[in-house]
Amino acid sequence: MDLNDDTPVYYSKAEFIETDTGNKVSRRATIAGPQNIILGGKTIIVSQAIIRGDLRRSGAGHTVVISLGRYCLVQEYCVLRPPYKTYRGQFNYYPMKIGNCVHIGANSIVEAASVGDHVQIGKNCVIGKFAIIKDCAKIADGTIIPPNTVVPAMAEFEGSPGRFVRDLPESRSEIVESFTKKYYSRFQMLEPARR
Amino acid sequence: MSAPTVKYHCPCGNADNVRTPPPPHLPSSAYSFHDLHELFFCEECDAVRCNRCVSVEVSGYYCPNCLFEVPSASVRAEKNRCARSCFMCPNCLNTLQLVSSDPPDPGDGRLSIPVGTVGESPFFLYCNHCRWDSTDVNITFEKATGLAAQLQKFEDAAPDTLEFDRLKEYFEPVLRASGATSSAVPSSAANSHHLHSTSITAAASAALARDIPGVSKYNPLGRSTRGKDKSSKKDDVPEYKTRLDVSTAYAAGGEQDVEFMRHLEEDRDVATLEQRWGASWASPVQASELRPLRVPLHSKRSKRCPQCTHILIKPEQKAQTVRYKIKLLAVNYLPNISLSLPHRQTAPPTDRRSLTKSTTGEDDDEANKAMQAGLTYPFHIAIKNPMYDPIQIRLSPQRMHVPQVTSDKEKGRRPPFAISLPTTSFQVAAFADEWGYDDEEDDELDYLDDDDIGHRPKKEREKPKAKTVGVLEKKGNVTVIGGEVVLGKEARGNVKFNMLVKYQYKLPEDQGDSPSKKPVVKDFEFYTVVDLGPVVAKEERRIDDF
Ligand SMILES: [Zn+2]
Ligand SMILES: [Zn+2]
Ligand SMILES: [Zn+2]
Ligand SMILES: [Zn+2]
Repeated sequence: MDLNDDTPVYYSKAEFIETDTGNKVSRRATIAGPQNIILGGKTIIVSQAIIRGDLRRSGAGHTVVISLGRYCLVQEYCVLRPPYKTYRGQFNYYPMKIGNCVHIGANSIVEAASVGDHVQIGKNCVIGKFAIIKDCAKIADGTIIPPNTVVPAMAEFEGSPGRFVRDLPESRSEIVESFTKKYYSRFQMLEPARR
Repeated sequence: MSAPTVKYHCPCGNADNVRTPPPPHLPSSAYSFHDLHELFFCEECDAVRCNRCVSVEVSGYYCPNCLFEVPSASVRAEKNRCARSCFMCPNCLNTLQLVSSDPPDPGDGRLSIPVGTVGESPFFLYCNHCRWDSTDVNITFEKATGLAAQLQKFEDAAPDTLEFDRLKEYFEPVLRASGATSSAVPSSAANSHHLHSTSITAAASAALARDIPGVSKYNPLGRSTRGKDKSSKKDDVPEYKTRLDVSTAYAAGGEQDVEFMRHLEEDRDVATLEQRWGASWASPVQASELRPLRVPLHSKRSKRCPQCTHILIKPEQKAQTVRYKIKLLAVNYLPNISLSLPHRQTAPPTDRRSLTKSTTGEDDDEANKAMQAGLTYPFHIAIKNPMYDPIQIRLSPQRMHVPQVTSDKEKGRRPPFAISLPTTSFQVAAFADEWGYDDEEDDELDYLDDDDIGHRPKKEREKPKAKTVGVLEKKGNVTVIGGEVVLGKEARGNVKFNMLVKYQYKLPEDQGDSPSKKPVVKDFEFYTVVDLGPVVAKEERRIDDF
C-alpha cells in the first residue's frame, strides 16, 4: 500500500457501469442476484470478479445477501460468496457484511460473516466461512483464514492457517482511509482511442 | 514497498550531543529512520518520538479469539491465557472449534464442517484447518461452556504447574527483598520490567550457580566481578528443593524416547519446535501426544513520552474499538513528504489487453524503471502541510560521505551522485478544513492538475518543463518542488541521502505569551532519509531490454 502512488489506474468507458452513488462495476464481473447486493457508493468491482448475491437464505421476501460499504475494491477473479451451514438440520446461507474502505486483492475468495471497516485483504487469500474480521485488520497476500476464525482489530494475520503476526500502527485507520479514497480518484476513465 | 521512499528520523538512538542521523549507507541508518505513520509527536517536548523510545503500558487485556476483555486482576491467576473456551490446535496452531457428538449430516453431498454448540455431549475440540481433534488425546467435555474451567483440574494437577507454583513461592521473598531496595528508582513501564527481571535473573543464577558446579564459571551479570561477591549474593537465597526428581517425574523420556525415535517412520510424528515452543518444559516429543493450549491474551497499550512522561497514545477501553482518547501522531504535526520520479510514471495503455492488466497493476518491470549510471534524472517532492498555520520550509540534502575504506586508489573518489534542490525557502499553505477530510466531494489527496483527472493522456504532462529544480506547483496545502540527481558513471546501488527539513511558522497572536502582541515565530527541524531507488550500469540495462 503506497500512499504516495499517484499513478492513475485506467479503465475503459465501455467496460464499466457507474451508478448514481459513484460505484463502478465492470460489465465483465459476474454479479449474481444483484437485487440482494448493496454497494455503499464509490465502490469498484473489476472484471472477472464474482459476487454471489443469488445464494440467499430460504424463505420469501427481500433479503440482503452481501453488502459492501463505501470506497471498497474487489479485484480480478475474487469470489464473494455468503457462508452457509446446516443448523438443526436446516441448510442455510447467511449474510455477509463488508464495511467501508475495504480492499480485496486479486484471486481471493471471501466467505466471511463480517469484515470491518478499513480492512485490507491481500491477493490469493481464502477467508473461510463465518470468519469475522474486525476493523483495521490486515490479511497478508496468500493467507488462508480457516472457517470461524476471529481476526481482532488492528492485527495483521499471515500464513496457512493464518495467524497473528503483528499489531498495526495506531495510524492504521487514517492510512487505509486515505489510500482507499485516493485509489478511487486514481481509478480513471480512459476515452476510447480515436481511429 | 518500492522506491522512492522517505523516512523520518527519531533522534532517540543518538548520543545526547549528536543531532545528525547516521549516514544512509550504514546499517544503523535503518534503525534510526521510520515511516512517518509510525511516529508520535510530543507537544510538551516539541519532539518526534518512535516505538523504540516511548514507554509502553498495558491498558487492557483481551482474548484475540472470543474478544473477551479480561480484567487485569485475573490475568496473572489465569496465566495470561483465555480462561473461557479458546484453545489452539496443538498441530497447526489454528484456533479450535467446539463440536458436539451429533450424528453427521444426512448425506446431501455437501462437505460438512461441524459447527454449533447445541447438540449432544460429549463435546470435543476440532481443528477445521488440519482436522486434529481432541479425542486423540482423550479430551472431551460434558458441557459446551467454560471449557478451560473443565480442564482446569488437569492443568492444576500437572507436575510442571505444581513445580512452577513452588518456584514462585520460593522466589517471592527474594523478589520482595530486592524490590524494596530498587523501588526508589522512578519507573517507566520499561524500566520497572527491566529491574524486575534482573532481580529474578540474579536470584536464579545465584541458585543455579550453587546447585550446579559448572555454572558458576558463567556469570552473564558481571564476568569481571567474579569472586568479589561470591559470598554475599548466594547466601541470600535459600536452597531450592524440587518437588519431584526430574528423572522420575515423567513416564516418558530417556529410553522411551529413544525407542520412539528408533521406530520413527515419518518426521511429522516428532513434535516440531514451533509446536513445543509455547508449552511448558514437559512438552512431549511425539506429535500425537501434544495437547491443546489455551489461547494467549493480547493487550491494548498506552504510550508515553520517555522524557516528560506525557501520554502520546491512549486507546479507548473497549478492546475492539479502533478509537483513541489520545493519539498524537507525527503525521498531524510534521510536513508530510512524498517523492515521485517522473521517468517512472507509465503512460496510459493504448490497447484493451494492457488496460485490463493495469487494474491489477503493480507488477511493473522494475529493472526497466531503474536509473542508469551516468545520466541525470529529475524528481518531485510533494510537501503537505497538516497544520493550521502556513510554513516556510527549506530542504537541504546532507553531503554524501564516501566511505574511505578500501585501497589508496579509491581515495578521493568523487561521490557517486549529486543532488540539487532549491536552495531558497518556500511556502506551504496551511491546512484548511475545506480542503478535505470530509467524506464528500472530493478528497484531500487529489492535487493533480485538473487536466489530469481523466481525459488528457499523461504523456503531455511529462514533457520536460523549463524548470527542473524549483517550486513546480502549489495547490491547497501541498507544494511540489523539483529536484535533480546527477549520477556518476560509477554509481551503483540505491541513491540514498539524508535530507534536513527546516521550517518556520507563526503562532497566532492569542497563543503567544509575548506582551508586544507580535506573533511568535517557531522553528522546527528534522532529518529524513530519501531513497530514490536503484541505479544500474548502462550495460545491465541493455541486457534487460532484450
Ligand atoms: Zn525514538
Ligand atoms: Zn477466548
Ligand atoms: Zn490444526
Ligand atoms: Zn515529552
